[in-house]
Amino acid sequence: MDKLKKLLKVWTLWELLQGLSVTGKYLFKKKFTLNYPEEKAPQSPRFRGLHALRRYEDGEERCIACKLCEAVCPAMAITIEAAPRNEGAPQVNGAGRSSNYGNRRTTRYDIDLFKCIFCGYCQEACPVDAIVETRIYEYCFESRTGSVITKEELLKIGDQNESQLAADLEVDGRYR
Amino acid sequence: MDNKESLTIQLNDIEYQVEPGQMLIEVADDNGIEIPRFCYHKKLTTSANCRMCLVEVEKAPKMLPACATPVMDGMKVWTKSPKAIAAQKSVMEFLLINHPLDCPVCDQGGECDLQEIALGYGADQARYQEKKRIVKDKNYGPLVATEMTRCIHCTRCVRFGVEIGGIAEIGGTGRGDHMEIGTYVEKSLSSELSGNIIDLCPVGALLSKPFLYTARSWEMKSFPSIAAHDAVGSNIQIQTRNGAVMRVVPLENEAINELWISDRDRFSYLGLESDDRLTQPMVRNEEGKLITTDWQSALEAAVKGVQAVVNGAGGSALGAWTSPSSTVEEFYLLQKMVRGLGSSNIDHRLRQYDFSGQQEQRSPRLGITLPQVEQQNAILVVGANLRHEQPLLAHRIRKAALAGAEVSSVHPQGVVYNYALTQELAVDQLTPTVAAIAKALEEMGKGSELSGLSALTTNAVVEASHRVTAESLLRGDQALVLLGGLAYQDHNQSVLYALADAIAVMSGATLGVVTEGANALGGQLAGAVPHHGVAKQVVDSVGMDLGTMVEMPPKALLLMGIEAAEDLAEGAVEAIGQSEFVVSIAAFADEVSSRKADVVLPMAAFTETSGTFINMEGVWQSFQGVVSPKGEARPGWKILRVLGTLFNLDGFEFGDSESVLQEVKQACDAMESEGTDEEITSWVGPADWGNSSATAASGVAIYRGDALTRRSQPLQQSSLGKAEQHQHNEGATA
Repeated sequence: MDKLKKLLKVWTLWELLQGLSVTGKYLFKKKFTLNYPEEKAPQSPRFRGLHALRRYEDGEERCIACKLCEAVCPAMAITIEAAPRNEGAPQVNGAGRSSNYGNRRTTRYDIDLFKCIFCGYCQEACPVDAIVETRIYEYCFESRTGSVITKEELLKIGDQNESQLAADLEVDGRYR
Repeated sequence: MDNKESLTIQLNDIEYQVEPGQMLIEVADDNGIEIPRFCYHKKLTTSANCRMCLVEVEKAPKMLPACATPVMDGMKVWTKSPKAIAAQKSVMEFLLINHPLDCPVCDQGGECDLQEIALGYGADQARYQEKKRIVKDKNYGPLVATEMTRCIHCTRCVRFGVEIGGIAEIGGTGRGDHMEIGTYVEKSLSSELSGNIIDLCPVGALLSKPFLYTARSWEMKSFPSIAAHDAVGSNIQIQTRNGAVMRVVPLENEAINELWISDRDRFSYLGLESDDRLTQPMVRNEEGKLITTDWQSALEAAVKGVQAVVNGAGGSALGAWTSPSSTVEEFYLLQKMVRGLGSSNIDHRLRQYDFSGQQEQRSPRLGITLPQVEQQNAILVVGANLRHEQPLLAHRIRKAALAGAEVSSVHPQGVVYNYALTQELAVDQLTPTVAAIAKALEEMGKGSELSGLSALTTNAVVEASHRVTAESLLRGDQALVLLGGLAYQDHNQSVLYALADAIAVMSGATLGVVTEGANALGGQLAGAVPHHGVAKQVVDSVGMDLGTMVEMPPKALLLMGIEAAEDLAEGAVEAIGQSEFVVSIAAFADEVSSRKADVVLPMAAFTETSGTFINMEGVWQSFQGVVSPKGEARPGWKILRVLGTLFNLDGFEFGDSESVLQEVKQACDAMESEGTDEEITSWVGPADWGNSSATAASGVAIYRGDALTRRSQPLQQSSLGKAEQHQHNEGATA
């Protein structure tokens, strides 16, 4: 009896049809594939793409050169140099700010995107929400050194995407 | 009650044997039990005002501060009981009420006591919702930055000023919420040890201004090293980041610098990045211009020029002057090279005038150890501005004075002590006064065995003050006569030395000698002097000392680590001008060598070279280069090694500075085992007073002593640096 069943399965290609039926089901279903670049996938507000440095509303850069992102970066992709900056420092002593010597600011803020693994720890560590990861994932480099993204470029990305970044942080802030 | 008896206490249920008078926190520290603290510091008096170290003591109704609770027999103490933890947590909460949450912008972040203790002993959340207070920052000058809002009023800096720095500049005004730490009337700090309050501050209220915002504690590498500006040989840590020196902090060594360093040692590194560092070898061309070249041709030019002079006029036409802050290795190789070329004209005593007593005089040693200085009961300082010359030796002597020692001083006008002296003899000429003290001792029936002493003291006029000084030395069973740098710059150095030695012999005191530079003793032991070789070996012919070389300039001159415009005794610059061929090995450009030197070889500066300093006690301390030399510069010992080889001299095949040191060390060990080092058996005095009209040298300003400190801008702008410069200029015009 078992022998007969087996023979029947072999000669009717039953298992093959069973497999093809799965394929066939998806043939008539709605397609997953997106027609990139015409179509794009939806993104979470926590999407971790290209980095940006943000500014306060008055135009002052947020980054205070605390170097926590540099310290936490598992790929050691961040390089920061800092110095006091007198320009724009408040004359009157305010909380946490000094009247004698300028503000703590970066003179250099480089991220090597070849090294970066987009873990988002830098954003996590930042006490002032200065370094963030944007939704941008479409970029390319044209030279070996192009992978290093400088402070000016980071600030520019931040300026261009500020409304989106602020909105995303607002949404995600509820869960922090 | 017998004070020597030891007591038994229980600390966290473990029994410990302790001595009466100890505080609980000391016992805990000795046994590795951690008690959090802010105001307590082992080198300062107890103020017990932060309350962080509260512990539970049996039968005490409330928690007691461990720093101010003396041990008692049978005491039971718990540092981690629920009550103690609750108390510590409450104190932490109070301390954090007014402390700003600005750790990310604070330079102390990462090495902050408050951060650490808040993590270990504080609550996880703040309950304080009200406004925090803000305090105006003070301006303490170019060395110390302030951020007074962060201050938690531990008063360590206040106590440091009173107890260690010796100048009560900082204090607390107001009370409660209105308390502020500051100078009251705004002023720059004027202590030569002021930088130490940066290390003492447990929070980020006092910070290093030149270092401000430049690096984080976790991204720097720390290397142990030895300070290069005075003969104390303070142990320091040089902290670097990306191959650049970021700051210098002390390294604790109870036997030498305790845990302090002077501002000069702390902030001199700022001169390293000066614009006028020499980074390329240079040779003078036919038109008389210095042009940069490569090492090979520069070294060949140097060798050719020196060889030409030596071949033409004999070895004695060569002279070498080296900085007293050179390393032992540099001293040794330089003298080996110069002597190999048939000359003995080598000297490192750049600011000395009178060399007539050099054969009889001992090497500049303190004679006792630095901790022993504190135990002296009588000290006579002759010709020294100690706070400027050797700040940490001055601190040790101050400690002795505060403990009851009678300290007297003979010094030129303008020398300021920060404690009351038994006798302060500020004079225009040192010799008559020192002679008078010697004569006072003679009149007390001492010194009959010192033949020739009376010749020196006959003209001395003994006054009451001299007698008091002499008596204080006789009273002290541990007495020290200290001859300082100003005495060595005196035109009567040989007389002063003989008199000081005589006073020491007559009063049973130790004679301590401390001159300028970081390694003057090393210079003597390595043989960088004309009258003896390495380890005091007798030389065939005594060479010319610096004074003689100034009078009769050698035809070829080697300058090592010298900035001729500032480092030399009067007349020496002119002597360089008269020399035919000058080779300058230096880290910094100076006008004299750029005008005159035929070959300029760039040398690695401090922190860039390995080497050894011998401090005033005779302790050999080696250190490593921690950053690479700037540009093409090379360590001094390497330059000398190559020069020696190019001169075809034997015994210059050294692989590292360590092997050079071994050679010197072997010679010195042999000397010590023979006992020929410091055993001067008989007192020898000079025949007469020599130059009796010259006034006492006023010395070098505190931050003008060597090329590196002169280039440290913050030091020059500090109140001490400015005041000294002012004085210096006045002296020059007068």
